[in-house]
Amino acid sequence: MRRTLKLIASVFLASILNGCVQKEVLDDITLIEGIGFDYIDSKNILGTIVIPVYLPKQAPKNITFSAKAEIKKSMLQDIQRQTADPLVTGSLAVVLFSKTLTEKVGILPLVDPFQRDPGVGSGLYLAVVDGETKELLGGNYGIRGNATYISNLMNHNIKNEDLPQTNLQWFLADFYQEGKTPFIPQIKQIGKDKLKITGISLLKYGKMVDFIEAEDMFFFKLLVDKYSEGLHRVKIESGEAAVRSIRSSHNFELTKRNPMEITIHIKVDGIINEFTGQELTPKNIQELKQQFSKDIQKESLKLVQRFIGKQIDPIGIGHYVKTQTRNFDFNNWRENQYKDIVVKIKPDVKISESGVIE
Amino acid sequence: MNANVPDSKKISPFLVFFLIHTMQTGVGILGFQRFIAKTAGYDAWMSIILSGLVVHILLWMMFKMLKIANGDMTSIHTLILGKKIGKILSSLFILYFSLYTVTILRSYIEVIQVWMFPELKTFWFALAFLILVIYIVFGGFRTVAGIAFFSIVLPFYIAVLFIITIQYSDFTNLLPIFDHSVKEILLGSRDMTFTVLGFETLLFFYPFIQNPEKSKKWAHLGALYTTMICIYLAILAFGFFSEAQLQKNLWPTLTMWKIIKLPFVERFEYIGIANWGIVILPNLCICLWCASRLAKRIFSIRQKTSIPVIATLCLIATSLLSTRDQINIVTDFTAKVGFYFNTIYIPLLFAGTLIAKKVRNRETHS
Repeated sequence: MRRTLKLIASVFLASILNGCVQKEVLDDITLIEGIGFDYIDSKNILGTIVIPVYLPKQAPKNITFSAKAEIKKSMLQDIQRQTADPLVTGSLAVVLFSKTLTEKVGILPLVDPFQRDPGVGSGLYLAVVDGETKELLGGNYGIRGNATYISNLMNHNIKNEDLPQTNLQWFLADFYQEGKTPFIPQIKQIGKDKLKITGISLLKYGKMVDFIEAEDMFFFKLLVDKYSEGLHRVKIESGEAAVRSIRSSHNFELTKRNPMEITIHIKVDGIINEFTGQELTPKNIQELKQQFSKDIQKESLKLVQRFIGKQIDPIGIGHYVKTQTRNFDFNNWRENQYKDIVVKIKPDVKISESGVIE
Repeated sequence: MNANVPDSKKISPFLVFFLIHTMQTGVGILGFQRFIAKTAGYDAWMSIILSGLVVHILLWMMFKMLKIANGDMTSIHTLILGKKIGKILSSLFILYFSLYTVTILRSYIEVIQVWMFPELKTFWFALAFLILVIYIVFGGFRTVAGIAFFSIVLPFYIAVLFIITIQYSDFTNLLPIFDHSVKEILLGSRDMTFTVLGFETLLFFYPFIQNPEKSKKWAHLGALYTTMICIYLAILAFGFFSEAQLQKNLWPTLTMWKIIKLPFVERFEYIGIANWGIVILPNLCICLWCASRLAKRIFSIRQKTSIPVIATLCLIATSLLSTRDQINIVTDFTAKVGFYFNTIYIPLLFAGTLIAKKVRNRETHS
């Protein structure tokens, strides 16, 4: 028995020694946190990566490396030749594309490696950059590194403000979903250490086809997100109020089939944050409520009509109709039905509180 | 040729729950959503229910057969076909379980190689893992059952963690219900059966159950639990992925983990895949145990001798499979063999047993 034990132990030791895989010690690798892609010409792209370098008792320093290449992996290979430690994509948080690139080439071939690489999390943010990504990543934002700053910026805007849910997973799910157009946010550098979300880019087959301005994002979020929050300014005769939607939901309803008619019920539960008029009377609140409903109805309908005109569908009306129809024919939908669809918006606004002042 | 087992080596009836459930959940559960959705689309959750029902019927048949034969698979074979042919047929199952071991082990190593360590050597990992398996199987069937118990209790928290993905899901994907024909749903349930195979091991460890009448309930509960877990994972995956996206992912269950980010670990898959080692450990143990038990029953070889021999053969076969295509061929083959064994051979055997019983009864009466 002793001998068998010894034998087993030695074989086990041998297997441990030989079966070792390559070590990756955190101090000896370079963690890429952000990647940006810029357009050079129809064949080549310029890739920029940003890595944080942690220094004692200081904010991490952002270092960028750039390389020209045809596809992403060869770009990383080129950058490997520039860095002291091996590059690892495990903690990638943001991937940026320049606006020119999104308009001319499309982002699909560039997204594929992130989907394929098991080391990359699907919670990372994709964004279009108004300008050059190299320049944007070269700046210094916040105290926790550029990529963390951008991802936090997105994160809190999704949670509390009017940026709709977005990340790699949402993008891919929408892209592969028939009857839905994916979208990603657009950001812009507005100073050496400042960034701003300027709107939302709508991508058809990976190419940018439309852009939603920041003012319309509130309504866009009401249409695309099941639940959303955000702030909207409502104007009435006696003054102007800032209404924060604290809880909102939307529901589709297929009201008629031939011709197709869809009603979107938007339920908003809001509180008044600010009022510039003299006094906030119940009558004023009533008026605000009505005006708010009117705004939602008008602006949302404008957006929907614009999407139908451009033959894109970020709201997922096509997908919704599919879920209500057996043996749904997407070709017929795209060619005939979507053009002629009638969309109605029915807002239901409730203003529940108006702050601590009467 | 004696199926009698001393009481001290038998297991309590409730452990059958764990044995059945653990054998059904292996590497297959990491990627079954894609296969069933290929034919049945997002109506495939109905296919899971159907295949679950089939499993219950088969289990019922098995218990009936085993009760009549009062032994295990070899006793059933002897009862119907006589000693010689019975032995030949039973010995085929040694091959079946060896193949099963190779499939599970190699698929798991493939997952590790793709998701975590591309440079991991198949041979060394398989060797280390099989040594552990041999060690457990040497402990006897009671130890194997104990490992089965832990393999379900310990990684249970993983099933709960999947709830995190709900916030990224759109469950309207599942609508409209019945968008697929009955034929497509049936085909889907055939594909589903590949995933929930493994309950046939009951035919081999039956003599080791104390009070087998009581274990019936637990076996059915085990199968029911598997069906529930599969429906749970399938519905979560169908909500999480759009249909075309699901077809792109080889291991949807693992891909879903990519969205989970915990404060102390960047990527959850690493914990999940490592934990999966515990999940497949009893599968290998049970397979190897069944193979060696059969060798003992048929050829009267001591299990202490047969286990290392079978394990070595499995080790060689496992290391010979190097590409994804080869692995797929072997996996498909095992799945097909298992499928036909369970859905065609067992009902035939069941009919055979009933006839054999009738004939015997007549003989004793006359």
